[in-house]
Amino acid sequence: MSGFRQIFKRSVIQMTGRPIYWVAMFVLPLFLMLMLTNMMESGLPDKVPAAIVDKDGTALSREITQNLGSLQMVDLVDQSNSYTEARHKMQEGEIFGFFMIPENFEQDLLSGKSPTITFYTNMTYFVPASLLFKSFKTTALMSKAGIMLNIAETAGISADEVVPMMQPVNIVSRGLGNPGLNYAIYLCNSFVPCVFQLMIMLMVCFSLGEEIKYGTSPRLMQLAGGNIYKAIAAKILPQTIGWWVMILFMESWLYFWQGYPMHGSWWWFTVSELMYVVACQCCAVFFFGVLPNLRFSLSVCSLLGILSFSLAAFSFPVESMYGGIAIFSYLMPIRYNFLIYIDQALNGIDIWYSRWWYVAYIVYMLLPFTLMWRIKKDFEKPVYIP
Amino acid sequence: MGIFVKSYIKELKLMTHDIGIILFLAFLPLAYPIIYSLIYNPEQVRDVRMVVVDHDRSSLSRELVRNLDATQEIRIIGYAVDLGEGKKAMNSHKCYGILEIPEGFEKKVGRGESSPAVLYSEMSLLLRYRGFLVATTNVAQAMGAEILNEKISESVPLAETIISGDPLGVENITMGNLESGFDSFIMPGVLVLILQQCLILAIGMTGGAKREKPWLYRDVDRATAWGTLKSMSGAGLAYLTVIIVACVYMLHYVPLIFRFPMAGNPFEIQVFILPMVIASIALGFCFQAFCRERESVFVLWVVTSVAFLFLSGLTWPRFAMGPVWHTVSDLVPATYGVEGFIRMNTNGATLSQVSGDYIALWIQAVGYSVLAFLVQRFYVMPTRIKALKYPGAVPIP
Repeated sequence: MSGFRQIFKRSVIQMTGRPIYWVAMFVLPLFLMLMLTNMMESGLPDKVPAAIVDKDGTALSREITQNLGSLQMVDLVDQSNSYTEARHKMQEGEIFGFFMIPENFEQDLLSGKSPTITFYTNMTYFVPASLLFKSFKTTALMSKAGIMLNIAETAGISADEVVPMMQPVNIVSRGLGNPGLNYAIYLCNSFVPCVFQLMIMLMVCFSLGEEIKYGTSPRLMQLAGGNIYKAIAAKILPQTIGWWVMILFMESWLYFWQGYPMHGSWWWFTVSELMYVVACQCCAVFFFGVLPNLRFSLSVCSLLGILSFSLAAFSFPVESMYGGIAIFSYLMPIRYNFLIYIDQALNGIDIWYSRWWYVAYIVYMLLPFTLMWRIKKDFEKPVYIP
Repeated sequence: MGIFVKSYIKELKLMTHDIGIILFLAFLPLAYPIIYSLIYNPEQVRDVRMVVVDHDRSSLSRELVRNLDATQEIRIIGYAVDLGEGKKAMNSHKCYGILEIPEGFEKKVGRGESSPAVLYSEMSLLLRYRGFLVATTNVAQAMGAEILNEKISESVPLAETIISGDPLGVENITMGNLESGFDSFIMPGVLVLILQQCLILAIGMTGGAKREKPWLYRDVDRATAWGTLKSMSGAGLAYLTVIIVACVYMLHYVPLIFRFPMAGNPFEIQVFILPMVIASIALGFCFQAFCRERESVFVLWVVTSVAFLFLSGLTWPRFAMGPVWHTVSDLVPATYGVEGFIRMNTNGATLSQVSGDYIALWIQAVGYSVLAFLVQRFYVMPTRIKALKYPGAVPIP
């Protein structure tokens, strides 16, 4: 049997025999993938708990309450008597915002004293509060429109004339690719591949570092006939195959079974995912070359792997970050995977626009070649530094 | 010297001599919050690039574009001839939104007909879309109100007296995170999460270290109930001692440095977080059962941070979770820790107002301590003692 095949076989036996590989390569990524997609299945968190403070208690204020309560996004859990009471409910976490109708509301309105409707949203919780804001604002503006309609009619303008006048300048917004603002589409497509990046990189450093830790790397080098490229490639290849299976499953899970948008070509997207696995692995080999030590390399991969969830700008855009930090956004392979996802899956634009992201993958694949000599040195004379 | 004191000292020594553990207990809580907060520190998404396709070319359409450009959220980078050219700019990642103003826009508005302009927004990042939405709504309303007032005074001079004063005011007040900043929203929760994770990671790694060199711990390892209890609580107290610095630093000084909202009472916050720290330490002792070697913690535990972030309800609120995930999140100390901390810190709740979370954390602290005791007594301690009896039983990959 050739050296390559021997090392490959040895690596497969090492992997299948240890539960930690099963957990790290299959259990954890699958769990997170199912968790994220399942948790956000409804797309948007509707029925946000809210309260109304109706200090007026007239027919008009009750009508507004009813309108608010009928909205899909709002769940009026409470009628508070005062601002203080509602604020306390907010602090206790029972509600995420409240809508306040002032005292003598109807009377002031009819006598032209122009009362003010105030709504409070708890931006400590970004998502529910933003949704609540939208519902509150709609209700307030609808009420206002109704009132203005009444006034205009009493002044002798017909309703047909008034309605377009309510909103003379109108801007309609259309979200491309994800018109329903589906949160699962927004978050899962970036977070799940980023989980993969973290685990792929950790497993490369873990398996290479273990060779040094337990002093088995000279045997590996011997099997490879002293060829470090052969040693590493054969050692990592079983993992590559495992991750390919996993990432193809991920792709089908997200874009086929969950039905997330795939507006571009499946073919190019699949190529991206397969290259992504190899790019992550090569990036990890490079880090291992910089720090040929089990714990150091694992620390670096963990640190960068977790930071990637923020740095790769899944939610806060790169152009809004400080310049000195934004450049790090392009440090890890996940950024390119994310950009390809946006171009190819979400927006479905021509592959031409994504050409550079694919080149980035190739650059990652070339990175380890710069440091192979160092890994070779450490593999031949392994020293374990705890 | 009793086992309790010996175990306490031994654990402190281990923590201060093992670089890996120092990393988890010092670098992670001290440096990580800074790096993390810096990423989101600009807080607001400003000047998102937009292209205009203006089929009207009127003074009103130009005014609309000018007003949009003047908002904090939008920056107009230029005009495109048609939608195709606009799309091209978007595809080349030069802009994230296209505003198309239809022909006859000004005329129709003047006649009181509806003629909506259309905003096409790229949807990869919802914060950009949110900015577009806020800015366009505000501009459309402001311009609309102006036009309306002019027109009403033109057509019905009488109505002006009623309407010009704006019959009904609408006001929004943001609570807690007053400026709706992204950093101020996500970081306070993440801080609590880091606290939990660094404890569990450090204790897991100690477990691995002890498993690899059991002979160093023979004087504190006991396979009896009483011995295990004393040894474990001694070690646990050592972590509690060390983590106090991190607690004060992360929950008080980091928010201070980055000007996160701080409406809570700092002493009450520390009192609140205590049971979460105890529960996390106990969880760490349970986790030791899975740590055969020091480095396993990276592979087995680091990624759980992502799961805990979502379970905490910071991004996807807990009331919208299905029963399964809601129950799972009930089991995580950080869930209640995050919830209570952000309500105290950002919304200014008192300890009694977060009593629900506080009680849940104490129940977890007690529950996980009992579980930790059982795990240590019947698995971790016996394994180490056994490994001592049969040297060479250290696992080889």
